[in-house]
Formats: sequence, structure tokens, C-alpha cells
Amino acid sequence: MEMDREPGKLEQIVSQFRSKILHVILESRVPSLHHQQQESLSLSRVRKTDKWFNLVLGDRPPALENLNFSLRNLLDPMVIDIILVRHGPCSSSVDNLYAPSAAAAGPSTETVIERWVVQYDCPRVFATPSGAEAAVSYKKIYKKCILLLRSLYSQMRLLPAYRIFRQLSLLSQTYNFDLIYKVSSFSHPFSREEEDGMKEYNFTPVEAPPGCLCVSVTYRTTLSDFNLEPLVSLPPKIITDYVGSPTTDPMRSFPSSERGAHAISFPSRGLRSPSSIPFQRPHSWSSGFHRGIPPTKTQSLAGSPPAYRTSCKPYDISSPPADLFGNRIQNHRVSTLQQATAYDEYKLSPPFSPSASPSTPTYLTGANPLLTRHCSETAPVTIPLPLTGRSTRYLSPNSSDPSRHSLPPLSPRSSKHDASSQESPSGIRSYRKIEALRAGESPSGLSNLYSAPKVVRDSKDDSGRFSGLLSSSGSPRIGFSRSSSRLSFQDDMDDCEFSCPFDVDDVDVSDSSSQNTESKKASEFTAQSNLVGKKSQDAAVGILVHLLRTAPPLRQDSSCYSTHSLKTEYDGGVGMASGFFLPRKTADALEELNSYREMKDLLLSKSGTQAVRKEGMK
Amino acid sequence: MNCEVCQLKELKVEHFEIREVLRCILHTIVFHRALGLLRPKDVDLELFEITYVQCGDVELEKKIDEKIDHFVSWVEKHPNKKSQICLSFYEVKSKQPSWFANKTERLYWEQWYVNLNVIQHPKRHSSKSHHTKVVVDPRESANEERSSHRVMVEASLREVLFQIIKFVNEKKDHLPPISEGVIYFPYEITIPSSSDSAFGMDMIKRMLHSGHPTMLS
Repeated sequence: MEMDREPGKLEQIVSQFRSKILHVILESRVPSLHHQQQESLSLSRVRKTDKWFNLVLGDRPPALENLNFSLRNLLDPMVIDIILVRHGPCSSSVDNLYAPSAAAAGPSTETVIERWVVQYDCPRVFATPSGAEAAVSYKKIYKKCILLLRSLYSQMRLLPAYRIFRQLSLLSQTYNFDLIYKVSSFSHPFSREEEDGMKEYNFTPVEAPPGCLCVSVTYRTTLSDFNLEPLVSLPPKIITDYVGSPTTDPMRSFPSSERGAHAISFPSRGLRSPSSIPFQRPHSWSSGFHRGIPPTKTQSLAGSPPAYRTSCKPYDISSPPADLFGNRIQNHRVSTLQQATAYDEYKLSPPFSPSASPSTPTYLTGANPLLTRHCSETAPVTIPLPLTGRSTRYLSPNSSDPSRHSLPPLSPRSSKHDASSQESPSGIRSYRKIEALRAGESPSGLSNLYSAPKVVRDSKDDSGRFSGLLSSSGSPRIGFSRSSSRLSFQDDMDDCEFSCPFDVDDVDVSDSSSQNTESKKASEFTAQSNLVGKKSQDAAVGILVHLLRTAPPLRQDSSCYSTHSLKTEYDGGVGMASGFFLPRKTADALEELNSYREMKDLLLSKSGTQAVRKEGMK
Repeated sequence: MNCEVCQLKELKVEHFEIREVLRCILHTIVFHRALGLLRPKDVDLELFEITYVQCGDVELEKKIDEKIDHFVSWVEKHPNKKSQICLSFYEVKSKQPSWFANKTERLYWEQWYVNLNVIQHPKRHSSKSHHTKVVVDPRESANEERSSHRVMVEASLREVLFQIIKFVNEKKDHLPPISEGVIYFPYEITIPSSSDSAFGMDMIKRMLHSGHPTMLS
């Protein structure tokens, strides 16, 4: 850059000097501007603005041009504040999780961590250097400006704020803080408290007669006081090992919450793909709000008993859980941000704290002491207590089919999708039916706790007992919906002292694998029926489920309850020894049916509804 | 013209840290003395959380790396010794040829002394003989000591870089004018030679060429 004695040369140097300094500061403190520069640096040609002070920085961002224009009075100081914005706990947690970069809904604190002051300190009255003196002066001034800019460029990378800038520049990570800048011609003085943690460095002024160019920086010596941490957000990924996935080991153990077992559910905001929600897992409890969505391998949002969704009468699926969950979600937004690492332990949980919202298990807990016990012992999430009323409401889903209310809310293992019953009224217990469950409609508020695959999985493991139960009742057994704690239930199945039909290990997993004879089943039924009085009501329910699984559906025509139909069913399913029924008499069958009815009544009495007695059975 | 001398703060470094430390310091100095048109290149150190700036000149980088290699070789032959690397900037002046002098001479106008104290990890030798006897504690303490050493070296290196910046800011008048098309001033890196006496002779020779006031009689 040749220096000559053109008038206004000094002003040009000072003006370009300020612009260059602003460019150097912002490109190493503002990630967005830095990225723009990186793109422009890729171009090989050097622009005119780059040649100033022999420092190629790339294109000047438009914001810089605007700033230069607004600060065109060279005698005014140019104050550049680098401000650290820390995003606090956000109330609107869900949205922020979906767009963590815009996590500004919550209260945020701003702290000036650097203040650069560039000023051409010039006396009011001055004398313009003349001729040769001016030329030499301009060259010296220009050289010294180059030196100052070099040292400023290096120092930018040594100050503590540079590390924050580098963190924010990583596009692969989002943080709960951000760096912004403010350029003005004045500055608010720091408070004494702020000054205590700051240090000042003054660059040697460049003599530019009649004045001198002064650059100084006041910076925080340490930024470790700020709680700067990355937002934990998982990149979109396909989760195949979700609860209920056929590929997931049902006996897989999941970590439990310190607070107990809380199922966590998403608010009813429509379908969100698992990939768009950090830490979201397609859990069964989320499926309740996403009705009619065909499940994919990675999506377990669907598949709950559709009947509950359609029968909105006794309850409202969306609002109460949504409200409850929404509130819980918001509350746990803080913990989400602050304890992001804890998410790894709660593989079942949505991106909220595991102790967040209650969900179906809450209701189940209230209705099913057994479930409560299970939840408290094993579940990774806490089930708030008690919500008997809600659970009751959830448990009486379908007014159109009173028989659907026959089954009380029991352990999550007993859940069954309505689809299975709807699709297989004959109570087929094959895995194909379970697949149909997965393709079923969204569940009720209870079954929304359970992912379809999970339920499917349980169904499969339960040897079709649930499917048989549902098929016989023809109603969505929301009461049997599972909670997230169900996952841990599976783990504890072996440890569960309570033997019930819901216990997978006690039940034939599949028809094809079942080797029990009818005589054994009858004896089991008799023995178990005797146990009803002895064991708790829940145990009785479990026994009934077991029996009903092996029994023809209650809603079947009378012909279905004939020995012939039983035989046919078993033959079709498993290839059982059909000869079991042959020696039996009709009286025996009727006696058995009466027992079934007693058990059913027992269940109905528990649920508070009266089943419609099947006529023609007697 | 005065020759400004800057003695940088001594750094205690281990053998494996020499390259990174020297690269950082030498490139930082040259960057501040490369007043031609350049595109700065940020380089992150691997061993320390420090980013320094290079000129982006490939030739310069090669030359500096060569000198560093020579220095490392020298250190291997002279372990546990304090050493000094001198980075000098000079002007080439033509003069009347004579019997004892060349046509051109170098006028050194600035010299930077990088002082290094290459140490060896104190636990290395002891751990070899005792690691079979003691299982855990010496290793943990060695790790802690290594990490504290690394922190100390990083802080010292940062201080040295600030020292360079301060010197560059304070001393500006002695720089020669910028030549057109030249990115950086001619420089020379002097490392200790095989003998200390030779190194001392180099220093004396340099001072004679630079016309240091104390050498003039």
C-alpha cells in the first residue's frame, strides 16, 4: 500500500484500521462470522480490503460494513463488547429440545467477557504534518498498524474467550451458551464486581499525528466460573433396541430411577419421529398419543389398543396425560440441561428426567398394587401415587364394549393391544397377531405407556396369554398396558415372587411350543381357582388370565366354548393333544365354564363393571 | 541501527515437547516479523490448549522444522542441559569487498533467545526398577506429576507468547522498511552446535556483524 501525501490519507488509514480490527475481533469471537470467513478464505483471490495492513482475512461480513458506516466518526471510540450469553433453565423445554440452538426461551444471563476499545485519540487542535514528513509518517504509521494488528491477531487466540469461541464453532455440538457482540461508540462502565475478575491490556499506541491510535482490551481472566456445558443432543439415530422391540431381549435390565419408577410420556403434540427428539426412545408410553401411525422398526409410537383412542368417553387421552406430562416435561427441562449425562442411564426415557411425568403406570399403580410393588422395586421410572381414579378411568376405556372393562388394571405384563383382540377375536396367540398389534391404532392413555413392540414382545413372551385374554374379551385391555417400568419388570420376572399369569416364565410362550395337555390345564385351572381365595386378588387375576389364555374367548359364540371349538383352536394353534377333550364329559366342561364365569365376575367386580354374561353358555 | 534483543522466559520441557514448543515460539515470532501480504494460518498445538499463528508460508515452515530437527538431535546428544536457540532478523547490506569480508554483510537488528531446559521425567528411571514391586501408586503419582508438568509448561508457554506480543508492541522503531513483495524479513536460526565454544564463537561473530555498540571500540 503506497503512502503518499494525499489529503485524507490519515483518515483512510484510521478508518481502515478500525474496520480491520473489528474484523479481526469478530471473526475470532463470533462463530457465525467465522464460518462466513472460512468460506471466503477458500477462494484464492485476495480482495482489496484484504490488502489493507497486509492481512488477508477474507470477505468482510455485511454486518461489519453496516457497523463501519454507523461508526464513521473516527474520533468516536469504537467499543466492541464480547458478551457471553448463558441460557438458563427453560420453561418451554420440549421445543428447545427439538431446537436446542434456539434455546432462549428460558432466562439467560449476559456477561461481558471482553471489551475492546479502539480509539483515535486526537487533540481538538492539531497541526497537519507537511510534505515529506507526512509521507514518512504515513509509512511508519502504516507499518506500526501492521505490527499492532499482527499482535492483536495473535492475542485474540491467547485470551480465554477464544476457547469458548472454538467450542461454539463446532457445528457438531450445541451448548447452553453463546457469544454475541455489541459495537457502539460508548460503553457502560463495569461494576466493581465485574472489574475484579477482569484484566486490562493496552497495546502500545501507534503515533499517528496529530493523534494516536489506541487499542485496549479488558477481559475476564478466567471463564471457569461459568457453567458452560454442551447441550446433550443426540444426532438422529435409529433405535432398534427399544422396549418392546422384537429384537430386544425382554429380560434386558434397564437402570432404575433413584426416585422410583416413573414412566415418562411425551405430551400429546402429535407424532414426532424419534430421530427428531433428543434422547427420545419409542417407548410404549409415547404411543398413546400417536394413534394410527403405522409403526416402523424404529418407531414404537403406535400400536396401542386403538379402542381406547376411539372411546374417548370415560377419559380423555390427550389432555390429562399431556398436561401432566407437559408440566413434568417442563419441570425437568432444567435437569435435562444440567444433567445431560444422566440421560444415558435412562434408556427408556424421553429426553426428560426419568423422574418426570407420570404416565400410565401411575394409573396402573393406583389400580394394581402388584404393579405398584413392581414399580417401586424394579422400574427405572417412578410411578406417582396414587391415581386410582384416573386409572379407573383409563381402565374403563370402551363403553361400547362393556366386556372390555372386565379386566382390571394389572401388572403391565398383562397389557394387550386392542388390535390383537380386534383382529383376532379367536384369540390366536401367534406372533403374527402380535405383529397385528403393532400395526394397530394408538393406545389409550394407559397403553400409551407402552410401545407396541414392547407389548408385542410381552405378548410373545407371555405365550399369547394376553392375546388370548384380549381376544376372548374382545376389548382393549388397557388395564394390561405396560409402563416403562415394565422393562424392568421383565428383568425381575425371574425374581418375582408372585407367580401370576403375567409372569412370562410361567406361561407358554407360544402355541407351538406349548406342551401342556388339556388335563394339565384343567388341573392348573382347578388348582389355581382354589388359589384365588388364598392369594390376593391380583393373583387371582393373574391366574384367570392364564386360564383364559388357554380357554376359548368369553365373547365367543357358545359353539366356541364347546369342546369341539377348543379342540379346533388348540389344534390350529399348537397342535396340542386334542385327545385331551375327548374323554371329558359335558358336565365337566360346564363346570369348567362356571369356574370361568366366577373368575370373570371376580375381575369385573374389581374393575367395577359388570360383564355381560354370555348367554347360551350354560 | 540498534539490535534489539529479547530473552524469552526459560521453559522446562520434556524431550517430546520440544518440537511443539519450538514450533509455536518460532512461528509466532516470525509471524510478527512477517509484514508482507499474508494469510494467517491458525495452528492448534496437540500437547497444549494453545493456538498460535503461522505465516502460511510452506518454505518457512520447512526451514523451521529442519532447524528444530537439528536441535532435537543436539539435545539427544546433550541431555539434561540448558540450551538456547537464537532467532535473528537481519538486513543485508552491501559493502565494499575486502580481503576479510564478503560483499554483503548482515546487519542484525533483532535477536530472540529461546531458552529451553530439557528435562527428563523423574519417574521414568525409578519406575522401571520399581514398577514390578509397587503396582498402582507410582504410576498414579507419575500421571499426576506429568499432568501438572503439562499444565505448568502450557502456562509458561502462554507467558512466553504474551512476552513476544509485548515486545513486538513496545519495540517498533528499529524495524527496517518493508520491501515490496517480501513477506518476512530475512532471518536466521542458530542452534547450539556440537560444542559450546563454537556456539559462543557464533555469537561473537554475530555481534561483530551487527555492529553492537559494545563491540565497537
